[in-house]
Amino acid sequence: MSGRRALIVIVALWIASAALASARVETFDLRGTVRAGGRSEADAVVWLDAPDAVAPRDDKPVVLDQHNLSFFPRVLAVRVGTTVEMPNNDRVFHNVFSFHDGKRFDLGLYPVGRSRQVRFDTAGLSRVFCNIHPNMAAYVKAVDSPYFAVSDRAGRFTIAAVPEGAYTYHAWRPGRQDLTGSAAVNGNGELDLQWR
Amino acid sequence: MALTKLARIGLCCALVARASSAAAQAIAVDVDQSAGYSTEDVAAAHTKLRAFGEVKPDIRFNVTGVWGRQSEESDAFAAAYPYTDRPVVLDAYVERTFRPSGGLFGLRVGRYRTPFGISSESDQGYVGFQRNPLVRYDDCFALSSTFFEHGADVVVGPPRASLEASVGTPGDVGEHTRAGGVDAVLRAQAVVGSFIVGASVIRTRPHLPHADLESATGFGADAAIDAEQDEGEREPASGTAAFGGIDVRWMRDGVQLRGEYISGRPFDGARTHGGYVDLIVHRAFMGPITAALRAERIASRDAGISVLAGERYTAATRIRLPRGFFAHLGIVHNTATLIERRATAIDAGVSYSVRLE
Repeated sequence: MSGRRALIVIVALWIASAALASARVETFDLRGTVRAGGRSEADAVVWLDAPDAVAPRDDKPVVLDQHNLSFFPRVLAVRVGTTVEMPNNDRVFHNVFSFHDGKRFDLGLYPVGRSRQVRFDTAGLSRVFCNIHPNMAAYVKAVDSPYFAVSDRAGRFTIAAVPEGAYTYHAWRPGRQDLTGSAAVNGNGELDLQWR
Repeated sequence: MALTKLARIGLCCALVARASSAAAQAIAVDVDQSAGYSTEDVAAAHTKLRAFGEVKPDIRFNVTGVWGRQSEESDAFAAAYPYTDRPVVLDAYVERTFRPSGGLFGLRVGRYRTPFGISSESDQGYVGFQRNPLVRYDDCFALSSTFFEHGADVVVGPPRASLEASVGTPGDVGEHTRAGGVDAVLRAQAVVGSFIVGASVIRTRPHLPHADLESATGFGADAAIDAEQDEGEREPASGTAAFGGIDVRWMRDGVQLRGEYISGRPFDGARTHGGYVDLIVHRAFMGPITAALRAERIASRDAGISVLAGERYTAATRIRLPRGFFAHLGIVHNTATLIERRATAIDAGVSYSVRLE
């Protein structure tokens, strides 16, 4: 009787592992280009809807740096739940705050070498400023997806390791309406986005 | 001549920009334009250009030029800039910051603001006030926020507690400038909870012309000088200038309280002490509005005789408007010997700021 039970367990495990193997989905990098008014567009955020995604979080620290009286990068995209480091690497004090949509915070004054953290726990756009320096401005776009990227100076972007399938994409850039559409991730073709 | 100077500043910015872009580093130019009117019957306008970026990775440069004009000499709208009616270079330096094992080592070389106390342009010029504190106005017998150094500045320490030292020669802008010689500035700063505490000392040359200060009856050094001397006879006062100061900043939930106290001698035989306390409020519910209050005091004596004493109170606001515009409004009330024009003045200004990348 116990031998029969053992056989059943072995068979069940074999079937389960076979099912898992067949369920393993291949992943691809989704590449594309962003243009606006016919010109390559840097700092556009592109992301894919993936409400059931189980992709692990990247452990690398996400940094919104302050130096030369500027934020770097000017546009930062993060996954919801990410904590962003905001170090002051200037020789003057900064007072980073965001009072508009998205995450609201005021980090107070802090000098060179010090850092503060902000956790972006809901999706949305946060416009970040320094209350002292009028030309310091940055955008933090929190997206509820592990699949996102920011376009480079040539307007190019790469969303890495996306499971094969059909997705709804979104694209955002400062001062424009979001673009939305469908994209197939299968290793073929690129996603070209254009604002008129 | 003015155009030649302006052309030099432009050429300097262009050369630095070219060097920077050749090294494939980012460069940007900030352009600030402002205009204001005070009920002291003073109108002012200024333009500032600031080019910055990286000469090489991690080696940053900063060049700032400004042209400012006032209808009459006043400290109105002079919180960060001199009004010399000609283009002048303010900052022109390169700097590098190292972070060895989480510590801090920064080196700055070139022309930069004298790092005594709450000294940066942004600390004085962009928090809502449109006038310098009296202890930092070059017409008073203390320090000036338009003191500049030609030299080298080092900051070292763990970020929580740092020591800064500067050695250079004076490169001031504004009406009163220091004579040549070697300046030394030492500053210590510590972060304790929500407090940032600093202590500074400076040993330098006097910036005011020599005058018989006993005859001073009006506002600041000019009143004293005008009483006794013709324009052509002005010479820098003799001896040394030496000041010590402490500064404290505290901030929580958008409320900043800060203050600075300075004491020392502007030249041999004279003594000045004074300071100010600022309350700067920028809470979330205030949106684009920053509100500021200042109370300040200064007292100067020469050979035991009071030559300048008074208090001043300021209420100010700074409103961030769309598309890079800011509106500024301040009400200033003077007392005692500071009254030269009017006891109470209203300063109103508008500024526009844009970054070109």
